[in-house]
Amino acid sequence: MVDMPAQNPQRIVLPPHRERARRPRIVRFREWARRNLFNSRAGTALTIITAAILALIVYGVVYFVFVDANWRVITENRWLLFAGGYPMDQEWRLWFSVMFVFLLIGLTYGTWASLGRRDHLFIVLASGFAILLLAHGGAAIWSTIWYLIAVGLLYAGYAIMIRMPRDASRGRTLQQRSVAGLLVAALPIVLIVLLAFGGARPRELEGFVLNLVLAPVGIAGGLIIAIPLALGRASRMRAISWTCTTYIEVVRGAPLLGWLFVALFILDDVIGGELIVRAMVVLAVFTAAYMAEYIRGALQALPHGQSEAAHAVGLNQFQSMQLIVMPQALRISIPPMVGQAISIWKDTTLVTVILPLRELKGNADSAIAQFEFTPDRIEAYVFVAVVFWVVAFIMSRISQRVEGSLGIGER
Amino acid sequence: MRKLRFGLLAAAVVAIVALVAVACGDDDGDGGGEGRGNTVQTIKDRGELKCGVKQTQPLFGFREADGTVVGFDIEFCKALAAAVLKDHTKVEYIDASDASTRFELLNEEEIDVLIRTTTITASRDRELGVDFAQTTFYTGQGFAVRTDSGIDSTSDMGDAIICVQTGTTTEQNVADHFTDIGLEYDPQGGLSQDVADAFFSGRCDVLTADASDLASRIAVRDDAGDYKILPQIISKEPLAPGVRDYDSEWKDVVNWVVHGLIRAEEIGITKANVAQMAADPPNTEVARLLGVPFQGGEVAALGFDSVDPQFIQRAIAAVGNYGEIYDRTIGDNIPRACTLNDLVINNSGCPDGQGGIQYALPYR
Repeated sequence: MVDMPAQNPQRIVLPPHRERARRPRIVRFREWARRNLFNSRAGTALTIITAAILALIVYGVVYFVFVDANWRVITENRWLLFAGGYPMDQEWRLWFSVMFVFLLIGLTYGTWASLGRRDHLFIVLASGFAILLLAHGGAAIWSTIWYLIAVGLLYAGYAIMIRMPRDASRGRTLQQRSVAGLLVAALPIVLIVLLAFGGARPRELEGFVLNLVLAPVGIAGGLIIAIPLALGRASRMRAISWTCTTYIEVVRGAPLLGWLFVALFILDDVIGGELIVRAMVVLAVFTAAYMAEYIRGALQALPHGQSEAAHAVGLNQFQSMQLIVMPQALRISIPPMVGQAISIWKDTTLVTVILPLRELKGNADSAIAQFEFTPDRIEAYVFVAVVFWVVAFIMSRISQRVEGSLGIGER
Repeated sequence: MRKLRFGLLAAAVVAIVALVAVACGDDDGDGGGEGRGNTVQTIKDRGELKCGVKQTQPLFGFREADGTVVGFDIEFCKALAAAVLKDHTKVEYIDASDASTRFELLNEEEIDVLIRTTTITASRDRELGVDFAQTTFYTGQGFAVRTDSGIDSTSDMGDAIICVQTGTTTEQNVADHFTDIGLEYDPQGGLSQDVADAFFSGRCDVLTADASDLASRIAVRDDAGDYKILPQIISKEPLAPGVRDYDSEWKDVVNWVVHGLIRAEEIGITKANVAQMAADPPNTEVARLLGVPFQGGEVAALGFDSVDPQFIQRAIAAVGNYGEIYDRTIGDNIPRACTLNDLVINNSGCPDGQGGIQYALPYR
């Protein structure tokens, strides 16, 4: 008979990594730090130097943002930066558009994705940033209220859609179709609200509003031109494929800056009209050349069996394109498309450089020409950069969600 | 067979490209050469004046927080709109902030008149299809230094780093000047805002630009006393409104509106008293300038047939005389007394060698 050692029968022996995980957080952190940050003399030195540099940067940024900077150049010029020459008595049109777009974002998220913790955090932070800006000047209270209503609509739309059953049914199809229809119609609706029935003249679209109008027009218009272009390039008919290839190579071969000069000097005689419309045409034509190549790449990535199978079940060329090939190709090409969208979003600043149109960055230049604010140009440019980043981040985030819900990269 | 088709296709492409190029080339030349323009009629038909202005220049053309375009140059747009369209608010301000495309905007008829601190030079007048009206603001290129720098003239700038705005007449002026005085110098170029920043943060010793520009940039600073502008001026920079070549009808209107505003200051017509002066003109000259009959006589039209005789009166009623425009928009930021922009008739009290050159031509 062997004596059993005095052992706690309750004690369960865990594998080493679980055992480590049982220890208090602080102990674990210390151990992690020792292993990763202070593992050797060189490592320790590197850690200290990096920490010092980081601390300096953080100190510099914090000092600039909270002490050094004169943010009045932004808050006082809120209207100039965002709407510029847009008629002030038509402000409700801007707010209506904001609310409509926010509601649409909510509906879209509720239909195809869900808001994660990080999304909520971002909405709260971005809203705080927006309200900080809005809470100055004459109509501050109303602006804040309109903005909060817009955020409320975002959540309302989301709350309604997320409660709908997601399994395939006629209701689900109807839900998806109506939200998709709204998405397609969104841009024309916003443009009508802003411009038609006594609204602004096209030239009065200015500041941030102009960026927000130009980029979607460029992206949507680009996509519309790009699909036939990509199919045309892949066509077996020489004349068509050559024409499309020439278009792509010519347009892609010159910088956007140059094409904007074309809008100013040559399109004037070809299509005439408002300069802003010519700028939109150029942005769409330019974006299309890139997007066509992304779609062509996606078309080539599709196994040939897909269209052969479509033909085998009796679909004609058009049906096979519409039902089998294009949906898959567009899905594959989403990541580069979003990259192009973000790129064109930032390129909208170029219209101020070449054309006499004033977008956000151009109006920031005007704000620092006010005598009182001439020393505050860094503040103005930092603000513009942050605004551009916020929108680009939203685009990137939404695309990640769309990719996730379409299962890209998981097959 | 294939080769033939390829060749045909290539030929077709070349033909199309050539056609397009020719078609575009037709309209591309210097927009001024298309025969006589009639901008006054265009403006009247449109019901709006398209004024090409700067929107990023302190004092001269910039924007208020509510988006309105304001400044010294802007007042002349309003005066022209009042003169031609009888309403000084009927102006569409088109952004011509970018120095490199401003003359193209004029030639492409995107704007009717260019009023954005543009210097008259012979080459611009001849080569760019632009015609200049009367100068609205005289300035010259000057140098700003720190008070304690020990630099008193350009001959002390041998070791100095000189900041200069690129792509403008200033850059060429400074190069010419240092060639003339036989001195090597160290120029640093950039955008006007950037070079000013570099100067005030100590990265260059000298900032050169239009003296008015330097004065306005220094005046706004808390440490304005640490800087001084050298009395030396190395160039002439008369800033004037520009119109398209071959359109003397419109050029004359622009020209005489500017002269009229200066004349109004010379003889004491102001925004406040212009209506009363027009109702009861004290002499024939005031009556002629304001386009009203003197003691029951005839109204002198002076051959301006595209605008009615009261066009200068309306311009004064809208923005006041030249002095009022100056005081309202530039004011003390660039002192006026005894500088080039003062009236010649005020020169009697000025120190020797100083005084204004603003002088209106006779309106009769």
